[in-house]
Amino acid sequence: MSTIRDTSTAKVVEEKIGESMWSKAAYKYRCDRAGMMGLSVVALYMLVALGVGFGLWGTEWSDNNGQKWEGISSQYWFGTNILGQDIFERAIFSTKTAFEVGLVVAVISTLIGAILGALSGFFSNTWIDEIILWVMGVLDSIPFYLFVAAIAFALSGFAYSMHVAMITTFWTTTARLVRGEVIKLKNFEFVEAARAVGVPQHIIIVRHILPNTFHILLVQSTIVFVGAIKSEVILSFLGLGVKDGVSWGLMIAESTLEVQAGEFANFYAASVLLFILVMAFNMFSDALQDALDPKKVSA
Amino acid sequence: METLQYTLRKIITGIPLILGVTLISFTLMVHFGPDKTYDLLGKNPTQEQITEVRHQLGYDQSFAVRYTQYLKELATMDFGYSDSSGEKVSSILIRTIPVSLALILPGFILGNLLGVILALIAAYHRGHWIDKIIMGVSVMGMSVSFLIVIIAFQVIFSSSKGLDLFPVRGWDVYSFTDYLHYVTVPTLASIFVSLGYNTRFYRAVIVEEMGRDHVRTAKAFGAHPIELLFKSVLKNSLIPIITRIMFSIPLVVISGSLLLESYFGIPGVGKVTYDAIISGDQPILKAVIGLTAIMFVFTLIINDILYKVVDPRISLK
Repeated sequence: MSTIRDTSTAKVVEEKIGESMWSKAAYKYRCDRAGMMGLSVVALYMLVALGVGFGLWGTEWSDNNGQKWEGISSQYWFGTNILGQDIFERAIFSTKTAFEVGLVVAVISTLIGAILGALSGFFSNTWIDEIILWVMGVLDSIPFYLFVAAIAFALSGFAYSMHVAMITTFWTTTARLVRGEVIKLKNFEFVEAARAVGVPQHIIIVRHILPNTFHILLVQSTIVFVGAIKSEVILSFLGLGVKDGVSWGLMIAESTLEVQAGEFANFYAASVLLFILVMAFNMFSDALQDALDPKKVSA
Repeated sequence: METLQYTLRKIITGIPLILGVTLISFTLMVHFGPDKTYDLLGKNPTQEQITEVRHQLGYDQSFAVRYTQYLKELATMDFGYSDSSGEKVSSILIRTIPVSLALILPGFILGNLLGVILALIAAYHRGHWIDKIIMGVSVMGMSVSFLIVIIAFQVIFSSSKGLDLFPVRGWDVYSFTDYLHYVTVPTLASIFVSLGYNTRFYRAVIVEEMGRDHVRTAKAFGAHPIELLFKSVLKNSLIPIITRIMFSIPLVVISGSLLLESYFGIPGVGKVTYDAIISGDQPILKAVIGLTAIMFVFTLIINDILYKVVDPRISLK
C-alpha cells in the first residue's frame, strides 16, 4: 500500500516540472543563463518605458533648460544637446517610443501573419492560397525603404504611417512560417478527427490548428519587435519615422551634426541604449527559440 | 530545351507578380504621390496654364489609363524624361546604377564570403570556445544599428577626430585608387553589419549538414578537415546559401545602398530614387519600381535554375 502511494507522489513531483511543451520550455529557459540575462534587461527597459508612459520620469525631454553642449553633471546626467535639452531625459523618453513602435508592429503583424498564414496553409493549393501567396510575393519584392517612403507620403500627416509600413512588410515572414506549419498540421490525426466529428472549418483553424503554431508566433514576434526598433532608427534618420516625441533614431539624426563638432554625448546615449536593448532582445529571442524547439536537447 | 521551356513557363507565372508590384507601387507613389503641378508653374498661374501643366503631367487622365500607359512604358523600357531635371530617365539610370553596384558589390561579396568562412569555422568547432566567440560577436554585430555603424566608421576612419584616412563623403572616381579611396569606409560598414546575420544563418545551415551520416563516414575515414568542410559539407549546404544570396540581390541593388548613398553623398540609384519619392518625380519612380519587380522575377527563375545545377536530383517540373 505504502509503495503504491510513494510512486504516485513521485509521479506528482515529476509532473510539477511538467510534461506539457510550455512547462518544459519554461524549465529549459530558466536554465539558459544568457536568455535569463536578456530577459531581465528587457524587463528593466520595459519598466523604464512604463514609467515614462505613466509620467513618472522622462517628462522634461523637450524643455531646453540648459546651455548648449553642457558636460556631464548631477543635473544633466548625460549632458545636454545642441539646444540645451537634457540628453538623459530624452534617452529615457525614447525607451517608451521604442517599446511603443516594437509592440504595435509586433502584435499587429503577428496577428495578420497568423491569420493569413493559417488560411493560406489550411486551404493550400486553392485560390485562397494563391491570392495570399501572390500578395506576399508582391509585398516582398518592393524595396523596404522605398515602400516605407511611399506609404509615408501617401498617408502624409498620419502619425502612424511608419507603423503601417512596417506592419505591411513584416507580416509576410510570419505568414510563410505559419503556412508551412499549418500544411504539416492539417494532415495530423487530431485535425482529421475533428473534421470527422463535424467541427466547422473555422473552428478547426482557430481552436485546433492555430494554438499549435503559437510557439512560432511567439518567437517570430520577438524577432519582429527587434526589427521594428532597428528600422525605426533608420527611418527616423531619413525623416520618415517618429513625428511627435523623441526617439533614439531622432537623437542619432540630430547627433550627426554634433559628431562633426566633436560632441558625442547625444550619439553615445542613444546608440548605447539602443544597442543594449537590441542585444538583450536578441538573446531573449534566441533562448526562447531554443527552449521551444523540442528537437534541441540542451546545448 | 527543358531548361528553356521551364524558363518560359516561369516568366509567364511571374507576370502576375510584376503586375501586382507595379499596381501597388503605382497606386502608392503616383496616385497618392505629391502633386507637382504648382512646382512647374510660375506665380499666379491662370486656369489654362494649370490645366496645361496637369495635362503634360498626365494628371487629367483616369487611373486606369495612366496605369496602362505605365505598363506600355515598362514593356518598351522607355520612361520618358525626369520631371525635376528634364534628363532622360534611361540615361539617369545608366549613370547611377553602375555607381551603386560599384559601391555595394565589394561589401556584398566580402560579407557573404567571410560569413561562410566564419560559419564553417564555428560549425567545425561546434560548442568549443571558438564557436562561442564567433557566435557571441555575431549577435553583437546584429545588435548594432546600421546607422550607428556608418556614423561611427565615418568618425573613426574619415574625420579629423579619428584616423583621417579617407574622404568624408562624395564620389569623385576617375581611377582605381580613387575608387578604393571612396569605397573603403562604406564597404567596411556594410560588411560589419551583414556579417553577423550571415554568419549565424550559414552556421545554422552548416551545422545541420554536419550531422548527416555521410559527413560522419567521411570523418571516420580520416578525411582532411578542409576537404571535409568544402567537399562534404559546403557543397551540400549550397541550396539555402544560394537562396539567401540570390534573394538579397534585387533589394541590395536598390534599397540596400540607400542609407550608404544618402549618408556618404554618393550619387547612386538609391539616392536618386529616394529623392524622386520626396519630390514626386514620377518617371524615375516608375522606372525603378518596374525594373526592381522584373529583376525580382528573374532572380526567382535564375534561383530555380541554379538549384538544378547544384543539385541534379531537383527536376525542373
